Amino acid sequence: MSVEQRVAAANRWKLSLDTWAVVLALAAALLIRAGVFKHIPW
Amino acid sequence: MADVITVPQVQTAQPGLRFLRVIPGVLLLGAIGYAGKLLEQNVGAYAKAHHWTFPNIEYVLWAIVLGLAISNTVGVPEIFRAGVATYEFWLKAGIVLLGSRFLLGDIVKLGGVSLVLVAIEIIGSIAFMTFLGRVFKLKPKLTSLLAVGSAVCGVSAIIATRGAIDADDEDSSFSIAAILALGALALFTFPVIGHFLHLSDRAYGLWAGLGVDNTAEATAAGALYSDAASKLAVLVKSTRNAMIGFVVLAYAIYWASKGQAQTVGNKAAFLWQKFPKFVLGFLLISVLATYQFFNKQQVGALANLSRWAFLLTFAGVGLRTDFREMRKQGLRPFVVGAIGEIVIAGFTLALVIGASKLFGW
Repeated sequence: MSVEQRVAAANRWKLSLDTWAVVLALAAALLIRAGVFKHIPW
Repeated sequence: MADVITVPQVQTAQPGLRFLRVIPGVLLLGAIGYAGKLLEQNVGAYAKAHHWTFPNIEYVLWAIVLGLAISNTVGVPEIFRAGVATYEFWLKAGIVLLGSRFLLGDIVKLGGVSLVLVAIEIIGSIAFMTFLGRVFKLKPKLTSLLAVGSAVCGVSAIIATRGAIDADDEDSSFSIAAILALGALALFTFPVIGHFLHLSDRAYGLWAGLGVDNTAEATAAGALYSDAASKLAVLVKSTRNAMIGFVVLAYAIYWASKGQAQTVGNKAAFLWQKFPKFVLGFLLISVLATYQFFNKQQVGALANLSRWAFLLTFAGVGLRTDFREMRKQGLRPFVVGAIGEIVIAGFTLALVIGASKLFGW
């Protein structure tokens, strides 16, 4: 596999900043739902 | 002597390093945001205890002002820059979490009205900015970037359009500087005008979502008015953001037809690539909340987590606004942007007041 092909393959699996923000928010929501974090103070 | 060969790097070890590089800046965002929160709580109490007349200044404004003070005096040191740049990431995560405070029915009802207003706003703004660009004899691609920036969603739209229409770096720097400077001004003027006109939370939130260009500034402008206005501003701004793909695609096709940009192959893939994914996350959390996947206490926890994410965002808005850098970009694009923004703000305000009368808000 050439270097260019490896770069293209690696980039194919890269998530955008947008998508990472969604992943983080959904993960946090699931942790709260599962009761790992019961109360978030403000 | 051997030639230097540049080989593209496969970045395997970079994610961990990148994570470490953002930590100082994220801590700075947290420190400034939390200082803003402490100032809100303590300055008001101190003034009251000493019988001073002092307006209640929200943490949003304190965080932005502290950030502005740092970036425009000592500047943001290099070590913090990568982390400060994550403020948009926190904004998007905060918007997704905010979805828990919307029931799907509300989104359909408010989203339907806002979609019509957003469509009118986008068409009106693009037409007016294009007209202004011609009057002031700006370069056509610079005019396109300013039009997209003021019609859809500020910096993100400009960056998306720059690649699609092969605009040069100078044009995009001009338009980004103009949009950022005007966003900062909108942040301070919109709440004052809203209070002066006694706009309801709903009318003001709608106006902030339609009239302020950047998502971070629109969220902050809403939060400076009230919590309810902030929620609506985010919803309307997200509706505007959802239109980004269509507008950028239209511009890409236009410039390709003139032979000055690459043709767009798969249009569906193009639209998906440009579509802001956080809008989908926002809708998903809202669907889950509507079907009571979360109990009341959990919805409260999600709302608070969203506030913390916005706290980091507001600190970042101040820290990345450097008026000295903006001044270097020249006056003409700024003047065009300023005239355009004032007219668009007036136009969207008239739209909102018309809709308020029509729907009895």
